[in-house]
Amino acid sequence: MSGLRALLGLGLLVAGSRLQRITTQTSACRSGPTWWGPQRLNSGVRWNSEVMASTAVKYLSQEEAQAVDQELFNEYQFSVDQLMELAGLSCATAIAKAYPPTSMSRSPPTVLVICGPGNNGGDGLVCARHLKLFGYQPTIYYPKRPNKPLFTALVTQCQKMDIPFLGEMPSEPTVIDELYELVVDAIFGFSFKGDVREPFHSILSVLKGLTVPIASIDIPSDR
Amino acid sequence: MSSAAGPDPSEAPEERPSLPGTLERQAPLPHMGRAELSPNATTSLAWGRQSWLEQIWNAEAVCRDCTAEAAALERELLEDYRFGRQQLVELCGHASAVAVTKAFPLPALSRKQRTVLVVCGPEQNGAVGLVCARHLRVFEYEPTIFYPTRSLDLLHRDLTTQCEKMDIPFLSYLPTEVQLINEAYGLVVDAVLGPGVEPREVGGPCTRALATLKLLSIPLVSLDIPSGWDAETGSDSEDGLRPDVLVSLAAPKRCAGRFSGRHHFVAGRFVPDDVLRKFALRLPGYTGTDCVAAL
Repeated sequence: MSGLRALLGLGLLVAGSRLQRITTQTSACRSGPTWWGPQRLNSGVRWNSEVMASTAVKYLSQEEAQAVDQELFNEYQFSVDQLMELAGLSCATAIAKAYPPTSMSRSPPTVLVICGPGNNGGDGLVCARHLKLFGYQPTIYYPKRPNKPLFTALVTQCQKMDIPFLGEMPSEPTVIDELYELVVDAIFGFSFKGDVREPFHSILSVLKGLTVPIASIDIPSDR
Repeated sequence: MSSAAGPDPSEAPEERPSLPGTLERQAPLPHMGRAELSPNATTSLAWGRQSWLEQIWNAEAVCRDCTAEAAALERELLEDYRFGRQQLVELCGHASAVAVTKAFPLPALSRKQRTVLVVCGPEQNGAVGLVCARHLRVFEYEPTIFYPTRSLDLLHRDLTTQCEKMDIPFLSYLPTEVQLINEAYGLVVDAVLGPGVEPREVGGPCTRALATLKLLSIPLVSLDIPSGWDAETGSDSEDGLRPDVLVSLAAPKRCAGRFSGRHHFVAGRFVPDDVLRKFALRLPGYTGTDCVAAL
């Protein structure tokens, strides 16, 4: 689940401060509120800025990323739907910043979004929908679909927006290079463990042979 | 904030007869680095906006029942497109916060001006307000929430938890003395009543809050419709809230024609094209990855 990356992508500095909290067990100093709240006192905002200014970007281990996710779900009561929507939206935004439609050859630019069997795939479905709204022409390949309402609803949203779902993955990298200008890898996320099963093993082999750019959601799926 | 989005008053059509209540504005806004509104600018902006909205809504010469239509659009998204209510509320709340950043960009604001009071009602409009407050926090504004009548449903409870956990203070009461609010905050977000919700449905504290907000001299941002306005006719616009900024959610409501404030944004990037076509809505193009467009 790329909740953390989504929140960082949207500039949620407090995620960085939360990590400080987890490791150092300190918390922001706040006085008791007057009726208008403690804005005039030591504010978390300034503290966050200081934290972020003094630390370089921290890269998370799998364990830390899972811990952040747990905090978001259990302490903050975020739902998977919420975080997935924010994650997919910010991924689409990032992709649009890196590969603006005006810089691509086709109009609208064609994008292949490959969605894996878990939450990373869900992020990809949301991402594809927002890419469509941003003026791209996404196509989705989603071979293994969890039978859960969250995912079926996301699929419906894409289908209703006329985003095609491929019946099979092109087996040659050159075919993909011809048809699409960009590939979004939403196959596996940070919680993935173990062996890569089919059809993803074959898919990853094909992706290795691509010349068009690949944008990976959360982590590159190839281990 | 002279660079804020919106039509340039100098390019507006020649002055037309004012809309009722337009010229009887409160005292000029305190200096906040923004161009102060002149009555002429308000009138011209209001007229220009009404013409544009008439174009949008009269595209088909059909009699429109605004509240029912807004409900139908939402039903389409929820039932046909299988959007979850939580998704839509999150997208609307996020976009509302983005609209605030466009109308009141952070770099131009002093510390005090970054403080935002978000007043939330117990229904969906309030839920959008809770999400908006959280994203304002993320965007480094300093929101405080007044949410006196709390919904028991899970969505509202979770959204409240998220705000609490992000150290967004919740006021236990709102002073009736409006000057205290003017002094403590830089702007207020009105997320009390959405279309079709009657003021009497939301309880005493919300109603009293709205009465206080009518006297506000700091800027007011209303989400979807100015709370208390009739969604269809905009009646009570003379006596009711007069926001400076209106953020229409998904699509503008009919009463937005009576809006005479400075900025009107539509937060509807997430609405699929086919839905726009079905409801005969033509909206200005969104640029880049923007989730809001200035009308």
